[in-house]
Amino acid sequence: MAGDRSNRVPEDEANGDIGGDSDDVTQEKAQKKTAKYDSGAADLEKVTDYAEEKEICSADLSGAMTIIGDRRNKEAAEKMAKERELLKVSIKKEDVDLMMREMEISRGLAERTLREHHGNVVEALVSLTD
Amino acid sequence: MPSSNPLPPKENALFKRILKCYEQKQYKNGLKFAKQILANPKYAEHGETLAMKGLTLNCLGRKEEAYEYVRRGLRNDLRSHVCWHVYGLLIRSDKKYDEAIKCYRNALKWEKDNMQILRDLSLLQIQMRDLEGYRDTRYQLFMLRPTQRASWIGFGMAYHLLQDYEMALKILEAFRNTQSKSSYDYEHSELLLYQNMVIQESGALEDALAHLDRYTDQICDKLSVMETWGKLYLELGRHKDAERIYKQLLHRNPENTGYYIKLQEALQLETSMDRLRMFDEYQALYPRALAPRRLPLNYAKGDEFRLIVDKYLRQGLHKGVPPLFVDLRSLYKDPEKIEIIQRLLLQYVDALKKIGKFSEEDPKSSPKEPASALLWAYYFLAQHYDFLGQTKQALSYIEAAIDHTPTLIELFVAKGRIYKHAGDVIEAYKWLDEAQGLDTADRYINSKCAKYMLRANLVKEAEETCSKFTREGVSAMENLNEMQCMWFQTECALAYQRLEKWGDALKKCHEVDRHFSEIIEDQFDFHTYCMRKMTLRSYVGLLRLEDVLRAHPFYFKAAKCAIEVYLRLHDKPVQDETAQQELNTENLAPAELKKLRNKQRKARRKAELERQQAAQAQEKREQHNKSRQQGDAEPDAPPQDELVPEKLARAEDPLEQAIKFLQPLQTLAAKRIDTHLMAFEIYSRKKKPLLMLQSVKRAYRLEPDNPRLHRCLILCHGYMEKCAGSLEAPVATVIQRELAPIFKGKDAKQLNAEFLAAHPNSLEALFEGSRMWYYLDPTQQEAAIKLCTKLDKNIEGICIKNCTVILQSLKSNDFGPCPTAVVDYEARCHALFPYAETFRPANSSTQAPPCDSNHLADITKENCIGN
Repeated sequence: MAGDRSNRVPEDEANGDIGGDSDDVTQEKAQKKTAKYDSGAADLEKVTDYAEEKEICSADLSGAMTIIGDRRNKEAAEKMAKERELLKVSIKKEDVDLMMREMEISRGLAERTLREHHGNVVEALVSLTD
Repeated sequence: MPSSNPLPPKENALFKRILKCYEQKQYKNGLKFAKQILANPKYAEHGETLAMKGLTLNCLGRKEEAYEYVRRGLRNDLRSHVCWHVYGLLIRSDKKYDEAIKCYRNALKWEKDNMQILRDLSLLQIQMRDLEGYRDTRYQLFMLRPTQRASWIGFGMAYHLLQDYEMALKILEAFRNTQSKSSYDYEHSELLLYQNMVIQESGALEDALAHLDRYTDQICDKLSVMETWGKLYLELGRHKDAERIYKQLLHRNPENTGYYIKLQEALQLETSMDRLRMFDEYQALYPRALAPRRLPLNYAKGDEFRLIVDKYLRQGLHKGVPPLFVDLRSLYKDPEKIEIIQRLLLQYVDALKKIGKFSEEDPKSSPKEPASALLWAYYFLAQHYDFLGQTKQALSYIEAAIDHTPTLIELFVAKGRIYKHAGDVIEAYKWLDEAQGLDTADRYINSKCAKYMLRANLVKEAEETCSKFTREGVSAMENLNEMQCMWFQTECALAYQRLEKWGDALKKCHEVDRHFSEIIEDQFDFHTYCMRKMTLRSYVGLLRLEDVLRAHPFYFKAAKCAIEVYLRLHDKPVQDETAQQELNTENLAPAELKKLRNKQRKARRKAELERQQAAQAQEKREQHNKSRQQGDAEPDAPPQDELVPEKLARAEDPLEQAIKFLQPLQTLAAKRIDTHLMAFEIYSRKKKPLLMLQSVKRAYRLEPDNPRLHRCLILCHGYMEKCAGSLEAPVATVIQRELAPIFKGKDAKQLNAEFLAAHPNSLEALFEGSRMWYYLDPTQQEAAIKLCTKLDKNIEGICIKNCTVILQSLKSNDFGPCPTAVVDYEARCHALFPYAETFRPANSSTQAPPCDSNHLADITKENCIGN
């Protein structure tokens, strides 16, 4: 049994606890029936086979990772700011209801479109009929 | 978070083996180990073991038990990420992706950094195209495990898909730097090409070129390198370099027509003289290549064209190239070329008959042509005249060919096709059946024959024909569905539509729709596979294809048919049969009543028999499925609701159903005016003015003069005028503002008159215009009918299809009742298209099926009036 495990690269030190090792649970994907009497079926079957992830070794990962980290934070902040800006626009519920009814769209889309047009229902509707 | 119920070491080891077995698809062994744990009374209710047992059972096709065990396991251990993860996997196998994502999120609550759950989550996110979510998950995976190859690739690709090229390239380049080079590494090569693709898409062509130059020797796919070089050089205006590359490429493959076109671009050839000279060079260089001989025909004109097409035709006829006409058909856009080809062929036939040569002016010493040359010339001429719509001529040449060689299958196919184009579907299918009989092992002919049968509304016969090539023991219809044979299913749907078997037609349309869903689901496995194999270019191609999958013509055809049927069902719902009969019996004489009862009894007996047969077929099907399941471990996806024609035809909400088919078209086939015209039909019935406006606006932008759009505009005008008072203020404002540039303040009559005046020679325009004329002013019936039934020589668009539409419209009283006009128009069309089935006077036709369908139509019409 120990042999079973030693064949594998330990996947996640953080959770190597009893019964919690769901890394092992699921590699195998997709209960797809590839089995359809054709000769290609065997090849297709292989698509869902389990395969170990390949590792790369490099000392120089940290540098690359910091650039990426910085960039991501900035990006998240920008997105947040834009969303907040949109949320500031005040919209009327009756306008949203009208848009949903007339255009048969979801509330989310109706609200968003209305906000993007600064709460002007006519402009919002014109853009939806484009 | 550890499980709330940890197992002791021995059981824990067993549990690990269950997981291992699941991974390696050794499900039977997995169940054995699960049994060993659960046999211990202390752990009989161990949550994670129960869940894993369920998941394993699911793989063995025992779905119900699977759900039972997994749910029980989860109930026993709600704080276990394993149980939640397993539940998510089970639900995912049922394609409920949204719910599966929720389960994964629950699992991550208890174990936020679990690689495997994150990986599974990312798969669902890319499948659902939640690109931002995908990027965030790939970011987490990347931070957790930067040493894994997949972490980098997935992370970089997420940015590529979000079109953040800068970030994507940064990640890919950092990753490339970690890779050590080996001599022949296909995966590395694919990575480089993918990187290049991203650079190109970012628009930095110079960088892409520099990148390609730098890594050429590490890339195994040399053809891709060359083609990319050529493309980049052309785009950067470096013509000399591009010329060198395309010459090399042509050396590799002198048949690739695309290379010739690019080479002309690189050489900056302007005149057709230069182009022809270039092809001359290549003919000399590669004397056996076909492309440099065929392509000049596209550019040559006049005498020059006559010269080279003469040579080309002689070669083809001498050798006996069956698709010679198909090869040249694209030249028929030019009337001058048609004329030249026709004259040459007539000369060949003449000379071949007289002296066995292509021309009487050929030198005496030249050898005679083989006897088959005349045959192929006849065959060519038959197709030529068929293309020009000269049925009589076409038939006489195909007859001559068949007289010459009565065993050539192509000739019978051509004969069938001529009849098909002439509108005689019955005669057409008979000749295809003849062809099929000459070689029953030829699947192409078999399929063609089946298709022609469907065109003649002979569904049963078509199924029978197909059954020669489908799986034994299953009905052909089912096997064709299983094989996703969509041409058959769409043609079949259209046949049922013509036969007014609405339910059956809808069933076929839904089947096609399901194929598309299935193809989209099938991409799931490739999210991991492609990343592992590094085939990233193809993978991105696949994702982009799946995004627009329903733009495929197969889907368009099926959706159009479904929408038309649903609209018909909305306008005239299918009556309940028994209620109908009850109603009719009231005013019948006793003798007739008895007759009717007899008939009903017979019908019932027949229905009973059919039910029995259906039950037997069902049983057979189940056995078939069972035997398949035993053979292979994995069962089919969950059985979907069965499509029952009777139920489909009685849909409660036909318009909503139609919208379901319409929506993919609105996003993916927005360039086709039909999409928006269908949308108008649906929304005008739903009385949604803004959505009507949307359809009209979109169509107007595509083709403001489209006759069918004109009708929508007039109807729209009337509708908006009628309910202007009852609209809510913003709606009214929008409509007024948006329709103003289209209507320009004119009233409907004025618009219609202008439209008619602007298109006096288009049959379609005359039809829609006169139809609206009558609609706006019924006193003008006679004049309107006279206008739309014009068949003068100078009118464009006089064809079987358009005339049929007009005839149907007259018959269905779009111009008010006008029986004499119908008879008269039918007769005139019959004179014009003597072979066409639709215009044949009812009594002179002996073919049963089309008459049946007409007959049926009459009955339904009578019933509707009666009610």
